[in-house]
Amino acid sequence: MRASTRGFAIGCVVMQPEIPAFGSLVRAEGQASGETIYGLIYDVRVEDDPFVRQFIGANPPEEVVRDQRENRQVPIEVSVLAVGCGDGEGVRHCLPAQPPVTLDWLYQCSGEEIRDFTRRFDYFRLVLESRDVPTDELLAASLRAAAAARPENERQRFLVDAGRELVRLLAGDPTRLEGLLRRLHT
Amino acid sequence: MTLELSQLSEDVRTMGEVIAKRRQTTIDLVKLARQWLEDHADDGAPLRRAARSARKTAIPTEEPLDVVWPLPRMPEHFTVAAADGSQIQPDRHGAALYHLINVGSLVYRHGSGEAPQAKSEATLGYTDDDLYEHGMPVAGNLLDVRRDLAELTCLADACAGEQLDRTVALVDGSIILWVLKDLPGDARRTKIGAYLDQLDRIRRAGSVVGGFISRPGYDEVNRLLCLASLNGETKKAEEQPNPLEHLPDRAIFATLPPGARSALFVSAKETNRDFHAPRGHEVHFFYLNVVEEGQQPVIARVEVPAWVARDTERLDLVHGAVVAQARITGDYPYALARADELAYVSSRERAAFEEMVVTALLRAGIRSAPSPKAHYKRLTRMR
Repeated sequence: MRASTRGFAIGCVVMQPEIPAFGSLVRAEGQASGETIYGLIYDVRVEDDPFVRQFIGANPPEEVVRDQRENRQVPIEVSVLAVGCGDGEGVRHCLPAQPPVTLDWLYQCSGEEIRDFTRRFDYFRLVLESRDVPTDELLAASLRAAAAARPENERQRFLVDAGRELVRLLAGDPTRLEGLLRRLHT
Repeated sequence: MTLELSQLSEDVRTMGEVIAKRRQTTIDLVKLARQWLEDHADDGAPLRRAARSARKTAIPTEEPLDVVWPLPRMPEHFTVAAADGSQIQPDRHGAALYHLINVGSLVYRHGSGEAPQAKSEATLGYTDDDLYEHGMPVAGNLLDVRRDLAELTCLADACAGEQLDRTVALVDGSIILWVLKDLPGDARRTKIGAYLDQLDRIRRAGSVVGGFISRPGYDEVNRLLCLASLNGETKKAEEQPNPLEHLPDRAIFATLPPGARSALFVSAKETNRDFHAPRGHEVHFFYLNVVEEGQQPVIARVEVPAWVARDTERLDLVHGAVVAQARITGDYPYALARADELAYVSSRERAAFEEMVVTALLRAGIRSAPSPKAHYKRLTRMR
């Protein structure tokens, strides 16, 4: 729907269980051949649905409730913050040179892609410095998801390393750092 | 903004006044029509022959013309299968010549507490056989006919798969297929025949079928009343202006109580007489007020084939199922609304599909693009 090198928004319809989660790492095709743009979902907005609104307070039959929940596609707008790009050979934590292709697909990154992308923490700065984004919540949610994508015995270590990087970046702002580390812990 | 609203403000104001004036005239005409309905309520039998030879005139059945049938008691469990279709017309300005038919369907099992079965099925036409029929491009009416047939086939498939014999197949619109008359050879007969084959399948499956027409604009009963007022003299009816002209039948039946239906009539369409009737599917129709007590009437037209119209149990099932469905949303069958939603191809999906076509052509070594006209239209309409 909208795209810039800093991020993009997509409009789509999905089943309720498939609504993308806040903090998920996603990827889209770049303009150049073989280029991939990585991003973090920072906002998921369910668009107004006049058809569903008609049933509010109307006590619809069970069949209708289940149809809306299980069959019906929910119109949503997903906003993504760009945090990296890849060219087939490796992943860099930087803004892409160009925004993604219009009307292209957005893919949820696999566990392997998440582990690969979060091997380094250079993208923290891109998140922490972005405006109009719930940066601390986003970083904490994405790190929790990245930890969950690792084997259980590696999760603690991963979060401790991420915490250390945050201490380095936010040393001048102890209040913010404390809040973020608390979110990470929970 | 290219539409200069200020230029139209005077016309719109006048239009409002004209419509208000016309409303008063309509009220007077409705009074006259209802009077004729009452006066000639029992004249169905003598009028039948005249109505058959008159133009576009509803044919009375055995029922009194002004009879009102209340909402029948419905079984606890019954099924409504609805289907609707949409299409992408072939576009010579597009990247490639193709057409697409997308049929959406919903099978809703009342009283089950289960989620209905929702389905969308797309068919792409791109070969020469798909794109041309008798040398004519498959577009407009020819594509509409394919879509209508695909919708009914989808419903017949759904009926065949239902265990319960209380299944209503609900079509969006008329169940009389509209096919251009100037098709070569037997093409028209073949197409209508294929449509009737699907009605046969629904019948054989033990299901029933109904066509739901929202806010119908038909005036067949209106013409019948005019003919009745002229003592069934068809010549006079053809020569003299009809005082009820432009009055839709639904206005005459707006006094139907909530959930009640009107008398049954036979549709006067030529296709009905020439093709449906000989195969046992002669289309009958009735008007129906779908809303609940205390609501403004919403009159719909429901069409059913003869084998439903002549069987009280089957007819009641269609009548009750349509009302049950319409009352979920308030005034329109829920399953049809969902089938439409499942069939609809949005402009965004259309654009995405066109992109897919361009990419597929590139992979096949063909560089294609929309025509210059389409390209510039797209550019100027993007804002």
